[in-house]
Amino acid sequence: MQTSFIQKHLNILDYALSSLLRRKLKNGGIALIFSLVIFLLASFQFLTQSLETTAEKVLVFAPDITLQRLSAGRQVSLPDSSIGSLAGIFGIRQIIPRVWGYHFDEKNGANYTILGLPADSIQKAEVSLSHGRLPQKKKPGEVVISSSVRASLELGERKSFTLFRSDLSQASFTVVGIFTDNTDILTGDTILMNLQDARDLFRLGDGMVTDLAVSVTNPAETDTIAAKISGIMPDTRILTNSQIRKTYRTVFGWRSGFGSVCLLTALASFVILAWDKASGLSQEEKREIAILKFLGFQINDILALRFWESIAVACVSFLLGLTLAYIHVAFFEGSLFTPILLGWSVLRPSLNLDPAVTFADLLLVFSYSVLPYLAATIIPAWRSAVIRAETII
Amino acid sequence: MLFNTWGLALSIISLCALFLIATASRTAIRVLRFWDPNSDSSTQIELESEIWLSSTLVMYGLGFQIISLLLFVLAADHFSGMIIGAMCATGSFLANSYGIPVLLIKIAGVFIYGIWIILHQLDIQSEHYPLIKIKYWYLVAILPYLLLEIILQTRYLAELSPEIITSCCAVFFGGKEQLGQNLLGTYSTTGLMAGFYSVAAVLCGLCLYQLSAKKLSAPINIGAGLTWILFFILSLVVITVVVSSYIYAMPYHHCPFCILKAEYHGLGYPIFLTLFLAVFSGISHIIAGFCNNLPGLAAPVRKLQTLSARCALAMLCIFVLLSSYHFWAYILFT
Repeated sequence: MQTSFIQKHLNILDYALSSLLRRKLKNGGIALIFSLVIFLLASFQFLTQSLETTAEKVLVFAPDITLQRLSAGRQVSLPDSSIGSLAGIFGIRQIIPRVWGYHFDEKNGANYTILGLPADSIQKAEVSLSHGRLPQKKKPGEVVISSSVRASLELGERKSFTLFRSDLSQASFTVVGIFTDNTDILTGDTILMNLQDARDLFRLGDGMVTDLAVSVTNPAETDTIAAKISGIMPDTRILTNSQIRKTYRTVFGWRSGFGSVCLLTALASFVILAWDKASGLSQEEKREIAILKFLGFQINDILALRFWESIAVACVSFLLGLTLAYIHVAFFEGSLFTPILLGWSVLRPSLNLDPAVTFADLLLVFSYSVLPYLAATIIPAWRSAVIRAETII
Repeated sequence: MLFNTWGLALSIISLCALFLIATASRTAIRVLRFWDPNSDSSTQIELESEIWLSSTLVMYGLGFQIISLLLFVLAADHFSGMIIGAMCATGSFLANSYGIPVLLIKIAGVFIYGIWIILHQLDIQSEHYPLIKIKYWYLVAILPYLLLEIILQTRYLAELSPEIITSCCAVFFGGKEQLGQNLLGTYSTTGLMAGFYSVAAVLCGLCLYQLSAKKLSAPINIGAGLTWILFFILSLVVITVVVSSYIYAMPYHHCPFCILKAEYHGLGYPIFLTLFLAVFSGISHIIAGFCNNLPGLAAPVRKLQTLSARCALAMLCIFVLLSSYHFWAYILFT
């Protein structure tokens, strides 16, 4: 019984494919538009997925706990002597004072991220450089920049450049190294320098820092240590690495959801089109169904025929749409949607996205593209199946 | 999370399913009001063709329901990356009071739609349509069930917020009494496994008996149906409390959802698929048994029962082997 059931459906599928090929223009048009809709939806999903993965990768370098002082709800600098008050907490491996902030370059409208670290911490940091070396202790003005910052500063082969301090006096710097492009999403706009140089650029007082980066020995204890720090320094904001990860996922998820809502209009239009196309049977199609019925096809056979036609169109469109979306994200950095998901900064990091497509992503895209299409074609399929053969021929 | 891509996809599937079932219910109401097999009026002829539409719609509804259940679990796993304290799908389901009820409703939904299709398949094989009224009353009842599922799912998604702190399936620090369980309480492993194998053995015997005997009496039929339901619940408990931690090789990790992940070779998919198929086939056999005496259904019922008993037996054996493998491999070889 099972063999004859499978054989019957294989025969119907065979007929459905030949029937689709006979009406190439109509079905090809539907498949093309459907592929486009799937391409848009899948691009969003793949891009979100890749950005989440990239964020996860670069957050490996982020400190386990970041401490910032708040005053009147705003972040203010704190003295690096506060490190001493945390000395009694077990499980803290290292505390690094940092000065960081944004420097607006009026010349080209770019915002650089300035990061100042103690020289010995810079040497220990797991920073990968494409060439050059890290800033050294007793050599003021040495910096590491990314290749996009170098391009933005129009340095060319020159090593030295200047930035304006807040009082419009100039601070000069020498480039000693260039970050590797792999961490471009994190370091794309970064200028890394010694702590003292960063204080000088931002006009911070001696011994003042913007935050403290705490690393812990056992990551499972991060939340407990964060709670202890909060008890000792109640005026600080404490950010843990896992919180930042979850925030990234939430933000990407929300932005991608927002984008998908906008794309739903495209999906809705397509579903209406599919319904309309499936409903409007030509005289020739009606004759075909009438002949099939004379040959002994039942209503459920014609419904099965229509089902296989819809599945064939959906499969071709799904594969085409997914392939295009993959190419768009992997080779063109998802350029259509990157501004929505990443923001509009002038110095946007150049991304090297590698969409790791999982079964869950495919099922997700399938659910909100193919299922509405299948749902839209059932009633027209049934209407065509119940045509009275004797009224047509 | 309502406007997260996953939330949107779940809502879209639910709306599609609602559209399908509402359209099918319209036919159901017309059939319940106007069906008259002795008439050859145009309404009756229209209704006879409309029953094909309604059955197709419910079949699609079943397909959508299965995809929706799978997507719901995968979505919960994805949400765990945003919710504080959640490490996998369990944490997301426990993040508010709607998660677990929606999951249970979706699981039951697969059986509810499936049973309708079994009734329909039997019904159309008799020229008298003996089950037509029952199956359309049943179909009308599916609509409020689906509405309830959509309302609860929407509330679950709307109230799921990244700020909520939840706890997950592995609780590392706790009293001696709570050794790591969160989704379900503590049970004796020996007692559970003994119960699990006993019920499985009873059901195997039942399937063999069903294959050899012509007909079961009504009380045995009801007893067999209840045993299948008991086995389904017991299997879910055994997978969560005992089997899962042997698959993960982590004594404190008791989660029925992480076994779906690629890290564990997606072992959860064949385990759950065979469990659902075994229980569904077993229940189909029982349901068909009640239709045996209806006009024109004796032969179709016999055919369906043979098929379902074979399928239930095969799936049950595969399920027990798959779910027991890691447990026995650990007990015997380590």
